[in-house]
Parts: sequence; structure tokens; C-alpha cells
Amino acid sequence: MTGEDPYPPRRQVLIAEEGFSMDEAIEAVKRDDAGAVVAFIGTVRDDGIDSLHLETYKEAAEEELLAIREEALARFGLLEAVVIHRSGRLRIGDEIVIVACSAAHRREAFDGCRYILEELKRRASIWKKEVGPAGERWLEVGGDPAQARPGEERSHEERDGLEAG
Amino acid sequence: MLIHVRAFASFREILGKEKDMDVDGGSTVGDLLDILASSHQGLGPAVFEEDGRVREYVIILRNRERIDSLEGLATVLEEGDEVAILPPVAGG
Repeated sequence: MTGEDPYPPRRQVLIAEEGFSMDEAIEAVKRDDAGAVVAFIGTVRDDGIDSLHLETYKEAAEEELLAIREEALARFGLLEAVVIHRSGRLRIGDEIVIVACSAAHRREAFDGCRYILEELKRRASIWKKEVGPAGERWLEVGGDPAQARPGEERSHEERDGLEAG
Repeated sequence: MLIHVRAFASFREILGKEKDMDVDGGSTVGDLLDILASSHQGLGPAVFEEDGRVREYVIILRNRERIDSLEGLATVLEEGDEVAILPPVAGG
């Protein structure tokens, strides 16, 4: 008998309709054999907007997040990873996403966390609409921010993409 | 045959969130998109390049699988399929 799995499967990815607990996400990736926990938390920046609306294709987004998570576990030797992404209407300062990862050492944890975030931005079925005094507009970046269409103003999100990590 | 169509974000604002379309048997994803584009102003230029290819960051899914990994616009639809039309994503 090998006994119970000491690390039973947890809720590993989630599109959340409401606010989530950052502490719980971080606790969920802690393990005795992990020497590093890295968490990225994305928040709504005040770019002269009133709110940010997040729309998701929940089933497809969660499938993609699970696939990205599995890739990161295999590629970077992560021990655990949890990804929670909000949907719905968010205010300035609200948390948009948390990617929490644990690994034996810091390098794997940093690299794996960044991989999940970058792939999420590129692949998960999630869209943002800025709502502000100037009206509403969808942020549609898609793929590599450097490939933004000519003549388009660099958006909030493109700058995010370049700054992330 | 009935095909369930779902659209998101800017495409949802053009097409509506979801609808069932009655198309001829043997229709392809391309046929369906042409029908939708002809009845919804603004959809065609948002989805297609001038040469008729799907724009690079637009994703079309049949039953949650990208048509790129199937037969593209020539992918043949079957009764009850779901086709989802996704604009460029922007999560994180």
C-alpha cells in the first residue's frame, strides 16, 4: 500500500465570476517538497477608465488554461500551479488574474509562472472591454504584441504584454 | 440541419451571443460564415482578409476545436455542431 496521495487534485484552473482569494490560491500550491512559490497577480490599472469588462468563453478558456498548466508542469518541473481569471465587471485595482506556481527552486517557479501568464494572454478565450468617459472599446491584441497592426495605437494590453514579468 | 453559433466580445455585438442556423446538409464552415456575413453588416471585414482568408488572430472553433487543425474553412459541418467565432483574445 502506498497510502493516500499526499497531493490530491485541487481546483487547478478557474474562470471566476466573482472576486477570488489570493491567499487560498497561494496556499493551494504550497507543498513540503517545494522551496519556492511564485505568484503573479494582474490588476486593473487606472488608464483613465471607469471599469473593465471581462468576457470569456468559459468552457474553452478553462480547457486552454488546463492545457497551458500541464505544459508548464512538464516543461519547467513545477510541482503545482493554480490559475484563476476573473470574468465580469471590474473596477480600478481589482484583481484580474492570479497565476500561482510552486517548484523545488525559484528559477523553475519564476519561469513556469511567466510561461503560464504569457500563454494565457495569447491563447485563452478572454476579452477585455474598457469603459470610460471616452466610451467603450474592446482590447483586441491577440498573439505577439510586437505584431500589432500598423496604425493602431498601442493599447493598455500591448503595454501589459511588454511589461509583464 | 441546425448549427449552433456562438460569438464573443466584438463579434457578439455584431451577431448576438448565440443562435441556431439552419443550413444545407454538407455545408462547410466557410459556407456558414458567408451566410452570417451576408446578413450581419460588419462581420465579413472583421473576420476575413480581402483575399477571403480568415484574419490571423480570429479564431473559429468547431465543437471547441480550431478549424486550423481541421480542414479550415472547408471543414464540413454536421447536424448539431457548434461553431464559435472568437475575436483576438486579450486576457491576463
